[in-house]
Amino acid sequence: MADYAFPHRHLLGIEGLNRLDIETLLELGDRYVELNRSRVKHADVLAGRTLVNLFFENSTRTQGSFEIAGRRLGADVVTMPIATSSVKKGETLIDTAMTLNAMRPDLLVIRHGSSGAVKLLSRKVDGAVINAGDGTHEHPTQALLDALTIRRRVGDIGGMRIAICGDILHSRVARSNVACLNVLGAEVRLIAPRTLTPPGAADWGAEVFTDMRKGLAGCDVVMMLRLQQERMDGAYLPSAREFFHFWGLDEEKLSNAKPNAYVMHPGPMNRGVEIESGIADHKTRSLITEQVEMGVAVRMAVLETLVKNAPEFGAQIANKAGAKT
Amino acid sequence: MTGRTVIYNARVIDPASGLDNKGGVVIESGVIADVGAGVTKATAGDLKIDAKGRVLAPGLIDLRVKTGEPGAENKETLATAGDAAAAGGVTTFVVMPDTDPVIDSVALVDFIQQRGESVAKVKVLPSGGLTVSLNGLKMSEIGLIQEAGAVFFSNGDRPVEDAGVLRRAMTYAASFDALVASRPDTPALSNNTVMNAGAFAARLGLRGTPPEAEWIALERDLMLAETTGVRLLVDCISTGRSLGAIERARREGVKVSCSVAAYSLFFNELDVGDYLTYCKVQPPFRKEDDRQALIDGLKRGAIDAVVSAHDPQPTEDKRLPIADAAFGAVGLETLLPALLSLAIREEIPLTTALKPVTSGPADLLGLPQGRLAKGAPADLVLFDAAAPWACDRDDLSSRSKNSPFDGRKLEGRVLRTWVNGATVFERG
Repeated sequence: MADYAFPHRHLLGIEGLNRLDIETLLELGDRYVELNRSRVKHADVLAGRTLVNLFFENSTRTQGSFEIAGRRLGADVVTMPIATSSVKKGETLIDTAMTLNAMRPDLLVIRHGSSGAVKLLSRKVDGAVINAGDGTHEHPTQALLDALTIRRRVGDIGGMRIAICGDILHSRVARSNVACLNVLGAEVRLIAPRTLTPPGAADWGAEVFTDMRKGLAGCDVVMMLRLQQERMDGAYLPSAREFFHFWGLDEEKLSNAKPNAYVMHPGPMNRGVEIESGIADHKTRSLITEQVEMGVAVRMAVLETLVKNAPEFGAQIANKAGAKT
Repeated sequence: MTGRTVIYNARVIDPASGLDNKGGVVIESGVIADVGAGVTKATAGDLKIDAKGRVLAPGLIDLRVKTGEPGAENKETLATAGDAAAAGGVTTFVVMPDTDPVIDSVALVDFIQQRGESVAKVKVLPSGGLTVSLNGLKMSEIGLIQEAGAVFFSNGDRPVEDAGVLRRAMTYAASFDALVASRPDTPALSNNTVMNAGAFAARLGLRGTPPEAEWIALERDLMLAETTGVRLLVDCISTGRSLGAIERARREGVKVSCSVAAYSLFFNELDVGDYLTYCKVQPPFRKEDDRQALIDGLKRGAIDAVVSAHDPQPTEDKRLPIADAAFGAVGLETLLPALLSLAIREEIPLTTALKPVTSGPADLLGLPQGRLAKGAPADLVLFDAAAPWACDRDDLSSRSKNSPFDGRKLEGRVLRTWVNGATVFERG
């Protein structure tokens, strides 16, 4: 597998990746976990390369995780401050991309509030683009880090019963995770009130539940999703307390899963809304901080794989410059 | 209750099983211990009641009652509504959420249940507001309120106009398999009207509610019920065309049921006559064709529930020019007599006429009562199916007297009513 040629120039989503693609990234990620746990956390596979973080939506953990991943691999990491107000129109967005592209980054990590925006940008730049979350569409590195977390903790994901619970409708994490876990052979379940269940979710390759107790029955892993505050104002849900009563993860509901089922959350958590504190902080069952650790490792794997895979960079730029003059 | 009560020598009618036979019922510990032809004077029991050939049937279940409690106790309290219900043979009624404050929280559901249990002679079930304060904007805590005991969710007499809000509320309610009741109305067409729109209203010089007000909202609600998969109760239809639309949707697999106010089966628009404010109701009395179509629906079992649409209004809100008078009519005490009169005049078998006030609504709500079955609560009514009488509003037990039946001749009178085996009404 070490000599498998990763066939994609960008990482825009899990959709379109096959099992070998995903496992290649996970195995490399696995190796980086060991590096990250050693005292000197440095490799120089990206020495001389430039990584630009372009976050049109606020982020602390994902942006930080990509920064650390890039630096540990020796890349020059630049995080561009984006004034969101100046890039509301599609035209301006592309202008921004062209401007950045002229600075010749090798890797562009992009998060944007509109589904499809990262793909749009990927068509306009020469470096490899990594989707760090686009609207309610995909967040592929989150799915990869979740898979790496489960794989390291429990082993083969194939045949495992995994529930994803909460605001599926607005979750890019859920979409990427369903795709990823399906490719890896898990039995995926989606648990949500009907207002937060996407139309057609039953065709995603997952079984859909509204009753959390039934949905959690026999699960090996329970993945909770963040519930945005604005969903609880009476449009999608009547109140936070009602959501917690029926879909918040507490001891009683969790007892329907397998006895030692693991609990995950992409963060940041709303304690007392989608998850009870005692479970979020559980020493053996909660994998929430481990997910953060795996995030850095898996992002290192993605960065390295895409850089190695990129066509000769200087040549492209030179060609384009030549064409213009 | 200790010992057994035997009611014998009755004509026993149970719409749930289709039973219509001589016999009786045995009550033990508030529950029906035996029923049918085998129950005779010789059956062992501490208390024997000779029904003298009168009809013994399950107590009525009424899915649409307004009282003034909380908020307008001058109109009606749960206690006075309970008295009226017992006198009318109604042993269970559902209170609509449009009280003040609105029944849109667990606390109000608890209040109605506890208050009903302590002051009303019959069983009182709360419904819940579909949206907070019935504002039509934000869904209420449907899951928690249902868990507390609300039997369905309704926006009362204020339709949810925003289709997006209604669609999400229905979608959410479907998570809990909750029943959503919606009275189809389009306020833009019904605001500031008095009666059915048409030639008669024009002659009287009154503004009318066109039937489209009902049809437009009904078609919207049926579409949303179809796509969201919610269980929908179309509350108080008043036209034949509405019934046709509901039956069509039902054939196509939509989980829809419907109710009709007893007054819509009994009166037509001409009954508004000489500007009678007691006949000012919403939905209004419609054309005779509509009334006939609804009676046909009743005969073929297409109507799931007949309701009293009990809406007490004090004299000061009714003794006004008809345009200024309040909507609403009391109906708890005339629900059964109205149906019995129809049964005689329209030759409808009693098992058919009584189904939408017994097992029909019971099945919609999943209630054990509303049937004469061993183990079911002994909620019973004994009535004379043909006794003629004239309704006099002053004889009503209701705190408000706004009955369109005032002065009307009816056939069928309640003689005695039992709730959980205990007598709650007996005609002196």
